[in-house]
Amino acid sequence: MVSYWKNFFLKNGTAVALFLIISVGVWLFMMIILPQLFMLDFSIRANVPPPKFGTEEHYYTLEHYKYMLFGSAQASGTFNIIDLTVFFRTIAAAIFVTLIDLALCYPIAYYLAHVAIGGWSRLMVLSLIVPFWVNEILRAFAFKIIFGSTGVINNVLIAVGVLDSPYDFIRNDIALWAGLSYAFILLMIFPIYNAVESLDKNQIEAARDLGSSWLRIHWRIVVPHAKPGISSGCTMVFMLTAGALAAPQILGGPSSLWFTQIIYQGFNQAGNWARGSAYAIILLISCIVLVLVIMKIFKVRFGEMMK
Amino acid sequence: MIAERLQKYLVIGFVVLFFVYLFGPLIVMGITAFNTSAFPRMSPWDCFTAEWFDVLMQDARLMTGLRNSVFIGLGVVALAVPIGLAGALVLMQARPRIRPWYYTITIAPILVPGVVLGISTLLFWDRVGLLLGMGVDSIFYNGVFLTIVGQATFISAYTMLIFIARLQRFDPVLEEAALDLGASHVQAFRKVLLPFLKPAIGSAAVLAFLASFENYNTTIFTIVQSSTLTTVLASKVRYGIDPSISALAVTIVIITLVGAVMYEISQRRQARKEKAQQAVARGELKSMTKQRSFFAEPAFIMSALIVFAGLGIVYFAGTIGVDECKAIVKAEKQAQIKLRVERRQQKAMFERTAEQIGAEQPDQEDVQDEEKVKAKGTEGYEGIFAPQNLQEQAGDSGVEEEKVKAKGTEGYEGIFAPENLQDQSGSNQ
Amino acid sequence: MSADVRLEDVWIRFGDFIAAREINIHIQGGEFFTILGPSGCGKTTLLRAVSGFLTPSEGNVLIGGTNMAGIGPNKRPTALIFQNLALFPLMTIWENITFSLEVRGASKQERRNRAEELLELIALPGQGEKMVNELSGGQKQRVAIARALCAEPEVLLLDEPLSALDLKLRQHMRTELRSIQRQVGITFIYITHDQGEALTMSDNVAVMREGVVEQISDGNSIYDEPDTAFVASFVGENNRFDGKVSSVSDGIATVDTAEGTIKARLSANTDSRVSAGDDAFVFVRPEAIQFVNGTAADNRMNTKVYHEEFEGHFWQIFLDIEKSQKRIKMSYVNDGATRVHSRGAELAIGFPAQSAIALPQGALAAE
Repeated sequence: MVSYWKNFFLKNGTAVALFLIISVGVWLFMMIILPQLFMLDFSIRANVPPPKFGTEEHYYTLEHYKYMLFGSAQASGTFNIIDLTVFFRTIAAAIFVTLIDLALCYPIAYYLAHVAIGGWSRLMVLSLIVPFWVNEILRAFAFKIIFGSTGVINNVLIAVGVLDSPYDFIRNDIALWAGLSYAFILLMIFPIYNAVESLDKNQIEAARDLGSSWLRIHWRIVVPHAKPGISSGCTMVFMLTAGALAAPQILGGPSSLWFTQIIYQGFNQAGNWARGSAYAIILLISCIVLVLVIMKIFKVRFGEMMK
Repeated sequence: MIAERLQKYLVIGFVVLFFVYLFGPLIVMGITAFNTSAFPRMSPWDCFTAEWFDVLMQDARLMTGLRNSVFIGLGVVALAVPIGLAGALVLMQARPRIRPWYYTITIAPILVPGVVLGISTLLFWDRVGLLLGMGVDSIFYNGVFLTIVGQATFISAYTMLIFIARLQRFDPVLEEAALDLGASHVQAFRKVLLPFLKPAIGSAAVLAFLASFENYNTTIFTIVQSSTLTTVLASKVRYGIDPSISALAVTIVIITLVGAVMYEISQRRQARKEKAQQAVARGELKSMTKQRSFFAEPAFIMSALIVFAGLGIVYFAGTIGVDECKAIVKAEKQAQIKLRVERRQQKAMFERTAEQIGAEQPDQEDVQDEEKVKAKGTEGYEGIFAPQNLQEQAGDSGVEEEKVKAKGTEGYEGIFAPENLQDQSGSNQ
Repeated sequence: MSADVRLEDVWIRFGDFIAAREINIHIQGGEFFTILGPSGCGKTTLLRAVSGFLTPSEGNVLIGGTNMAGIGPNKRPTALIFQNLALFPLMTIWENITFSLEVRGASKQERRNRAEELLELIALPGQGEKMVNELSGGQKQRVAIARALCAEPEVLLLDEPLSALDLKLRQHMRTELRSIQRQVGITFIYITHDQGEALTMSDNVAVMREGVVEQISDGNSIYDEPDTAFVASFVGENNRFDGKVSSVSDGIATVDTAEGTIKARLSANTDSRVSAGDDAFVFVRPEAIQFVNGTAADNRMNTKVYHEEFEGHFWQIFLDIEKSQKRIKMSYVNDGATRVHSRGAELAIGFPAQSAIALPQGALAAE
């Protein structure tokens, strides 16, 4: 160990070695690890105002986690139906959005990587980036405009005669799903595109030459090759969707809350930071566990995924 | 044969639909920025105008947010680029046993929900401030500082990925060569590795700035009393929408497009240069011809001309005849409403004669239009906060009344009451 | 300025793997010294120990009599030419060449002057402003040499620098390297797996196998007087006969093989002489084999022609020995009189005992 550090300093020179150690140290400990641990600590203590931190009133307790399950002690029901419903609906919706994005992006990624020709393909890939750099809020805003009761979609549907009166896309969560699928679509398309692009075209041609159908070519050759890209795309989209805040705030129907909104309310309205922290940790842990389980099922290793 | 052709058309149709989905919303939003209608919409089209850009420029809150966003963005660049660089360099030298752990921990902030990062940053520095006995006016409670740190946590992971990608193409032998020629480690780092990483430093800085600029989830927790462009936007959008936001989107899209075009041009220049160099090496070319300057590239001149022409057209078309057009539209609307009111009166009379009192609700579309015309008089930015506008702009979901009523009784404990739940989803601040 | 290089009992270990074992080499100042061996034999490891990129697990490296322990690569009087040349792609040619001056803080004028001098030396005058990418393979090669020479090293280390070039250029660069070495007069340590390079350029050659130096001597002796079965089989082409020594007299061993009794001389090196009863290999160069016309000769064998190849200035014939069906190779100079031997033709061959060498059995080079 000592020789490793000695060697580290020797190899990089003192100035560079110090720069590396300090930067990475600050990042790892002051920005990543310690804040998470502090949040964990916070979530298992009673909710008291800052001046009382560290006093006896700031005791350790699991009440905030219990609250998530059973609600407040005074509540009549056995379970905290509202929070639990929101939680599971958020997770389910995030999975749903991930699947939509996968279904949309895989064909497009394949098309861009292997079907489209030279300049066109390049232009299309480049143009994909444009919507991505438009603010998340503005993207949600755009969907609010087109899905509004006097929005383009309602106008078109009424003009064509499909609808008689405007359909409330917002209340029925369709705007939210469309907006969420849109929000992180590029995080799905680029990993898949990169993975598919690295596939040797000859492999596809060889398979076709051997009489394989298109479906089989994809199932046996392209998909296995692109598996790391597909899984990293799905993981990112799922995590970001489950943790999304802007789109649900803007596009969410009046009756459907997103779990992050409950956390947000805990902090900004109720001032119950401890419970907010506990909920944040519940969200974090359940998302990670879910991703790990699914990765296990599909036999993907984290290392190869993040290439 | 037919099946094959059909398949081809299906594929092309799918691709076209995909790009419509990708760009349609932005285009629609862009068009609404030029409609005088106070509610951002494409149809019915009232008048072509550029006035929403003026409204945008005069929005003091937005401009403050923008200033903060730029400042925070620069702060994040200053923090995340060196951290990402150091992170990548350490990864390259980490021992094989430690490497996967190190990688997992450093990459994790990308996947951790932004909300969680924001909360943990807020709590951590709050505690640090408390431990150091610093007051609420100290840096640890400063929204800008907290936001820079919170955003840099995950943006450093992005920049690290960029540096890793670049470093994987670096031949470590070059560093050895420098050492062998007598360079010190610092010299080898500065003269060989850093110049090689320069393009990556550039793209990491751009990426870091953009990621910071558009971040919402983390910022909303760490910004505390201050504001950024996104937080201002979010509160505006949640309280009601008006076309000046569309105008902002148009501005951002144009800047992005210009950036993308510039990037493409510089890529092509680089490719051309490399091709020429190879030709020289093979002896096909005597020497490198001097490349024309970036600003003399035909593609650059073309795109600059298009942007300028577009801006000019928008400016002139937007200022000429707007008022006349508005007056005409207003007159038309009033005439229409008059007609409808008359028709409704007739209907009502008819209904009354049929003795069906109050069975039918008035047509909501009509009510909206009426209100809109009323609101026209007070048009301008402040107008959107007027209650009648709020109702109108948020559409006709019918919850608005409850929203306004519930405002006063808002509170955390209350959220479990179903009717409040609805309210807060729309208006939590 | 040139310095001698001495490796004393050098061992280099990577965990359990031994990359170099008990190496003792003394390279004279001003010598062109080559380390020859198949890939993975530890020759590059040895070079890195000399240049300072790794520290021997045991033993010492001395350059000009000074022990180099604890002295980093940037402080040693050596310069290394890397296998892939490692030219800095973002610098111009002249900046590349004078990098060693730049890090010492030399003025720009001084650097430009020196660059021009070195460009003269490598016959690329006035090309300093080009970028590395604009050079052909051979030019890059010469720039790498100039860059190393600019550091004014006492020892120049070359790690297979010609391997990326095509055949013609490689042969040309051999001559050029040798003449540059004569001109600058410093010690060259050259690493290669190509015996042609080793034999043509070097004053002395060390042959390595699996971390061990098998033999050190000048090129001639390596070819004509191999010390071990490995050297005999690795350097140049050789026919090999397996057998047992039945007797030794007057420096000639009689070896019983499946092809009959073969007489072969003993090695000049006392350590690698065989004695009666030993298992031995007999090595005969293809060019040592002669046609035999009726008259008796040493080591006569009857063979059938399998295949014949025309190589320009010589012919190469593959022969199957009748007795054992073993296939051997002989070659003879193309003297203009075409003697095409058709497949299956019977041919009597033989070789003098002095042209064959009997060595103790041991590891062989991979075919």
